[in-house]
Amino acid sequence: MSDAVVFTLLGAGVAAELLCVLGVVVMRNAYDRLHYSAAATTVGPLLILAAVLIREGMTSQSLETIAAVALLFVSTPMLVHATARAARRSDFGRPGPTREEKPE
Amino acid sequence: MNAFLIAGTVLIAAFVPLLALCALAREIDGLVALELGGTLATLAFICLGEGFQQPSYFDVPVICAVATAISGFVYARFLGKLR
Repeated sequence: MSDAVVFTLLGAGVAAELLCVLGVVVMRNAYDRLHYSAAATTVGPLLILAAVLIREGMTSQSLETIAAVALLFVSTPMLVHATARAARRSDFGRPGPTREEKPE
Repeated sequence: MNAFLIAGTVLIAAFVPLLALCALAREIDGLVALELGGTLATLAFICLGEGFQQPSYFDVPVICAVATAISGFVYARFLGKLR
């Protein structure tokens, strides 16, 4: 019973990651691709983490897995934001007031 | 070969389209692919560590997650200046 749950969670996690890879490859620009890149650090890692936790229990391996997934989960939103800003700056230049908006 | 080893192998195989994207698309699109590649590498290391049942292998995904974040910030900082 426990093995079936582990296999199901693991398969779902890997499938979620593959779906995100497909989305990143198929989408047209960096902004669309970022949606899939960010999604890859939420559903898939949590499902794989759940599979490891069910199989191992609370061991040192589980704690290190929790640390790795938590690092991904916390750092990726900031990374996506920084990447989107870089893409915007690369496409449209530095954000700021236009010449007409600047005070005299 | 258990399920975790198969999962790790599949996640490593998923690098191929991302490498193609890095090589062929714009720099900023390559950065997005690189970030996703870091996530995949972290998860592949977790699966391989579990599959081989080696506790010492579980240090690698933690380092990989940190390195993914730092490298992404560095590349985003410098790619933002390119135009």
